[in-house]
Amino acid sequence: MRAPRYRKNPARKWCVGLVLSAAVVWSVWNWGARVFALFSSDPQAIVENSVLKAKNFSTPVVEIISPKAKLKAYLLEDDTNPIISLNFSFKNAGYASDDEDEQGIAQMTAALLTEGAGDLDGQALKEALEGLAIKISFAAGKDDFSGSMLTTKANAKEAMKYLNLMLTSPRFDEVDINRVKAQMKEALKRQDEYPAKKLELEFIKELYGEHPYGRNPLGKIQDIDKISAVDLRRFVKDNFSQNNLIIGVAGDLNAEEAAEFIDGVFANLPSNGQINFVKEAEIDFDGRVRQIARDSGQNMVLKALPGVSRNHEDFYPLFVANYIWGGAGLTSKLSQQLREKEGLTYGVYSYLSIDDKSPLLVVAFSSTADKFNKADALLKEQTRIFRQQGVSKVELKNAKNYLIASYNLRFASIENIAEILTAMQKYNLGLDFLQKRNDYIANISLKKVNEAAQKYFDDSKMISVEIGKF
Amino acid sequence: MGRNFIYMLLFLGLLPVSASRAELFGAKEFYLDNGLRVIVAENHRAPIVKHMVWYKAGAADEVPGKGGSAHLLEHLMFRGTSRVPTNELNRLLEANGAESNAFTGQDMTAYHQLLDISRLELAMFLEADRMQNLNIRPDDFETERSIVFQERKERVDNNPLGSFREAINRALWQEHPYARPVTGVDAEIKNLKKEDLIEFYQRYYAPNNAVLVLAGDIDVPTARQLAEKYYGDIPTAKVIETEMPKLQPEFRATITMSKPDIRGGRVLVMFAAPSYQVESECVYGLQVLAAYMGGGETSKLYKKLVLEDKKALSVSVDYNPISRSYGQFVIAMIPADGVRPQELVKSFESAWNEAMSEFDIDELEKIRKKMLAGLVYLKDNPEDAAYIIGSMAVAGVSLDEIESQEEKLKAVRLSEVREAAEKLINSAPEVVGILQPLEKNGEKR
Repeated sequence: MRAPRYRKNPARKWCVGLVLSAAVVWSVWNWGARVFALFSSDPQAIVENSVLKAKNFSTPVVEIISPKAKLKAYLLEDDTNPIISLNFSFKNAGYASDDEDEQGIAQMTAALLTEGAGDLDGQALKEALEGLAIKISFAAGKDDFSGSMLTTKANAKEAMKYLNLMLTSPRFDEVDINRVKAQMKEALKRQDEYPAKKLELEFIKELYGEHPYGRNPLGKIQDIDKISAVDLRRFVKDNFSQNNLIIGVAGDLNAEEAAEFIDGVFANLPSNGQINFVKEAEIDFDGRVRQIARDSGQNMVLKALPGVSRNHEDFYPLFVANYIWGGAGLTSKLSQQLREKEGLTYGVYSYLSIDDKSPLLVVAFSSTADKFNKADALLKEQTRIFRQQGVSKVELKNAKNYLIASYNLRFASIENIAEILTAMQKYNLGLDFLQKRNDYIANISLKKVNEAAQKYFDDSKMISVEIGKF
Repeated sequence: MGRNFIYMLLFLGLLPVSASRAELFGAKEFYLDNGLRVIVAENHRAPIVKHMVWYKAGAADEVPGKGGSAHLLEHLMFRGTSRVPTNELNRLLEANGAESNAFTGQDMTAYHQLLDISRLELAMFLEADRMQNLNIRPDDFETERSIVFQERKERVDNNPLGSFREAINRALWQEHPYARPVTGVDAEIKNLKKEDLIEFYQRYYAPNNAVLVLAGDIDVPTARQLAEKYYGDIPTAKVIETEMPKLQPEFRATITMSKPDIRGGRVLVMFAAPSYQVESECVYGLQVLAAYMGGGETSKLYKKLVLEDKKALSVSVDYNPISRSYGQFVIAMIPADGVRPQELVKSFESAWNEAMSEFDIDELEKIRKKMLAGLVYLKDNPEDAAYIIGSMAVAGVSLDEIESQEEKLKAVRLSEVREAAEKLINSAPEVVGILQPLEKNGEKR
């Protein structure tokens, strides 16, 4: 403290004294308030008192019909950036629909569509796209064959032209076919290097056997060898048609522009194709365990229980039950027990798999051989407790809070939005799904969640495939 | 949590284009009185925000023999403070719909949440709290040490390339801290003590050694007000910068590893390269070089080695100039069936030389156009913006430099690329790594 500077001036001294004491009172009060805030209030109060309020965020999805081909699509207009994303799927054209003796053809097509179209060979096509910042890619999933395109608004016309050319006039030059075959065969060979990959392949084999879902997603070496340009052209003709097509568009374009765009890409596709439909998978959930011996750093396991399809009446209750059981990350019941309390694993997680022909509830973890059995026993015990006791009101409330409050996060990128629009159509969620989804979550009752826990989380039925040292 | 810092390929293909905008993100920065650097990148598409705190402290700052401290500390930062007890942070963030995580690298440790804008203040409160009040309980320490041990087993030991990458790093970086794995090795993890972490925490977790990035639906005045409110009172600490040793120039080594679980060869050529901190005048020339040589399937090495010579099934070049010390220039190749990795290395060398001799002004303009094309996409996702800005800022790159990528790339001259390439090949420390199957009789293929 300094000596008082105003001793000779009582009036000013008084004045300063008042200011000082006011400052002391204020700071004590302020400090007290802070202490109060820190020790006696729930940090949740910070959210209630925040200067940043929840905002009304509208995500109006419209259905558009293209003028020429009368193709339906979902559009979400967003002019934040001058860019456009298109996402589309040819339903039932994924690798599970490959002919029995042509396994790998969907994957090979996906790889070759970017290797030249019309008069442009692979290099010319890629040069053109790169120069215009147009990104186009294709993928063969289990059920569907999908594609996506990202372009600037300025180059949208060119993007439309190129994508149309790739879908309708792929080149399938011999030299490219041979290279892609070599790459696929090498990738097949190397799958065995990764214990996680090996486990995944053995897991689907164990579950599905001869059903197409049990296939290696990359195909079979002997089939790949046989596939010719003629086969690939037939694949395109049979599978890329307007009646198995779903389309989502998001970004800086209006309904009219989007409709024209869609015609530009898809109008000259055949209206009908020749689809191979895959039958429902039948799995006997009998609690069997298969072990694969392998010298690896950790043992890993994948487990499956029956799940439900996206439109099943139990979907939402099961979705929430799974979130609480093993879907939530560090706060899930399984993470809390296996990881946070016992330190037995770096990660345990579960998810609902909603492939068209076989909905599943899948759970996975990995742990060193000395701890694996303990972790596995704990997982089973937690599942039994979960089935018997279900979830508490508080747990349900926390889960709903997360699922609702995190909902807007999925709108971070325009590509993600276009993907959501395609998924909404694939699963018939309705045009107003984005508006209603949080209500669907909010309306799930404790009773329904606990019924789902009781009905689906039966550890005696779990099929397990394990890899490692046993 | 505990995701290793995986460098985003921002300068290959991803690095965008914009005709009208000179600034990459249009971000703004300011400093609090306690030294905290704050960078704000606005993006108002959705009412969400990415909140990241980057500490300039990573595995490279560990005391030798205490490998894994930075990473284990990162894990324990989720285990409670003197004010927000065990697990409350995870519970609160979950109940508020946040996606929360963290990662540790050689140069930095970052904590981040993506969340609805209405919940941002909670994340800031929690992050500011654990910047100063960490409380490590002995039980949590033991459990979390077991978890990071399991993490190493999962990421390194269960990955057939794990030991290969570590061997290359040891050979290339030698006495440099980058030689040591971020996770630490088994014995180090097992011997870590709580005190090691507390020491690390006290030494480096301070506002003046951190960068706060906010990307999303927030404006600069609000960001400033909230940064002051939550981080403004945290005291400054005296931080002693870790000295990064110089490597011996012209160092060359070849590592050949044969492993029984490997089914096909790999070749990795890795240089300790210039960065924004070391010989920074080469950074943009090397970016152009990397794109020209191995940026995607129209690049020179792809054309020569995959399409023409058919010696490789794939080739890619990654250049990372974002580092507190040297950067990395890496060529990764997969030999075609029947081609020995050693043979591919020879082909690579001649393909590289050929490509250099073909490099002229037309090639430069072509590659520049591609690199600039698409810059607008980087602005799209606030998570990308936060990640790129944060990783560069914490490595000491100025915001001006971050924002002026377009301008800098436009200014690159032919001679600059040639000189940078020559310097790289002739004097940058280099390791050629070969991974190949071990045949049953023990012979190498």
